[in-house]
Amino acid sequence: MKRRAVCLFVSILIGGAGGTGAWAAGSKDKADANSADAAGAGAGKEGGDAAGGAEAPPPDISGDLDLTENKTSEDAAAAIKTSSTLTWQDIVVIPRKPVLKGGRFEFAPFAGTSINDILIQHYVFGLDLNFFITDAFSIGLQGDYYVKQLTDRESLIGLQYNRIPTLNRYLWSGLLNFGYVPAYGKFALFNKSIVHWEIVVSGGVGITQTEIIPRDISFDAFKTNAITPDVGIGSRFFLFDWLTVNYMFRDYIILDKYEPLNRSASMYMSAADAKAHADSKLVNNIMFYLGVGVFLPTSFQYKTPR
Amino acid sequence: MMKRIALTFLLASTAPFALPSSPAHAEHKSPLADAPAIRKRVELRDKRFEIGVGVGSTLNETFYHGVMVNGHLAFHITDWLAIGGAGLFNATAIATGFHDELTSTLKAPMGGDRAPTVNTAEAGMNKPSMILAGQVELTPFTGKFALFGGLFAHYDFYLYGGPAFVTLKSTGKTDPSVAACQEKATDMMIRTCSTTGSTVGGTFGGGIHSYFNDWFGLALDLRDVIVKDNPAGRDVNGDLVADKRDLTWSSHWMVTVGVTVFFPKADISP
Repeated sequence: MKRRAVCLFVSILIGGAGGTGAWAAGSKDKADANSADAAGAGAGKEGGDAAGGAEAPPPDISGDLDLTENKTSEDAAAAIKTSSTLTWQDIVVIPRKPVLKGGRFEFAPFAGTSINDILIQHYVFGLDLNFFITDAFSIGLQGDYYVKQLTDRESLIGLQYNRIPTLNRYLWSGLLNFGYVPAYGKFALFNKSIVHWEIVVSGGVGITQTEIIPRDISFDAFKTNAITPDVGIGSRFFLFDWLTVNYMFRDYIILDKYEPLNRSASMYMSAADAKAHADSKLVNNIMFYLGVGVFLPTSFQYKTPR
Repeated sequence: MMKRIALTFLLASTAPFALPSSPAHAEHKSPLADAPAIRKRVELRDKRFEIGVGVGSTLNETFYHGVMVNGHLAFHITDWLAIGGAGLFNATAIATGFHDELTSTLKAPMGGDRAPTVNTAEAGMNKPSMILAGQVELTPFTGKFALFGGLFAHYDFYLYGGPAFVTLKSTGKTDPSVAACQEKATDMMIRTCSTTGSTVGGTFGGGIHSYFNDWFGLALDLRDVIVKDNPAGRDVNGDLVADKRDLTWSSHWMVTVGVTVFFPKADISP
């Protein structure tokens, strides 16, 4: 009998301790609400007295919490009901950058077009491979393949002025580029969702292979491998931790060689001869392209606590 | 007996946890779940007037680049919708590389050449002189950015579209054989005519405002003006005469940068 009573007593003690813990957490929320109301009422009263009847300032809820006193009131009870799920984790003062790029690779295919040539337009299909040394600084390789299209203006030159333009086409280019992120921002889409983006500036050097388009189709063409410095500016928009949408304006500065103006059947007819007497010219080929960026590895971890 | 004690112990231990959950353990829903993305936002556009001035350049002109001076007026009905107008005026014209290359070859005519002389060719060329546009503007994106991690600014991105009233002007060169384009030329010797005067077309574009403060900011704008035009004043449709049947829809792209002022004072959202 004695043993039974002792076991029962111990059991009740253990069960009662668990229930008390749950009750204490609820009381803490209650006490928070009571403390906030008390502080607010006090501040309001002081503000009202000091201003001689002016509008009371908002309540100060940053003071120490009083867990020992039970200041339950009807108002506090209502507050308890609405704020009982509120915890400190719901309040984020300064959100972190959602995506970190340092130590990750970017695999970015793109397509684009030239925008500054009146007579011949080039469509480009290419790939950027970048490695981010830091979150802002990257180094990478770019490969481009070009497809040409003559414009309407080019076809009108012969009709309107009885002249044939001297044109070159681009075949491919390969470049080493350095990138830097000087600006980072975010925007609200109809004040509902937030999209993060950044501005990228890039510069580098590489090689572009060009080929003349002979004015006389019976003449042979020659190719040139031209040193090509380039500069660019663009943006990345972050969709996920591993996916971005990119656009960029890039100026490829090509020291190109053009078909000699006095080339004829009796002068510089062969490709080698024409190339030896070609007219050199510095050309700015400004391209606009759009693409996506895939980051590998696809996830990352912050090294500092929140 | 031992069994009874164990059962009693088990029941007594688990009873408190089987009771209905206290409020502290209720399903957690963030009070911020349905809140707007940005609170206490300065409403930089809502119910405000905007006045802007700037300068810019055409981008894809065939013969002459235009340096454009522009002015912009708008009223923002809401934070994302506005109606307004813009005026762009050609301050000066700069010959393009294509123009220089072409005229250099025209200075050395060949025997039996049907190409025009330099004077005739230049007398037929035109350029946009004035553009007056009415437009509806949408601002779908607003936000802020950090430059070099230290300078912070609000910005917005806007799109617009509307009708445009365009005045085309001659480049200033004259030639007695070049007159204004006729509706339908009957003289087969008319190979160059001048397309000048006013015409109606359309305009669309987009831009960015970057705000220095609540009322003053920078504006960068990219605009396309589409009108029926013949920039060369020469035959286009292959009938070997130049007249208004050679007019085709042409895009005139231009970029401008300027400053913009908003008034009255901005409200703050809840």
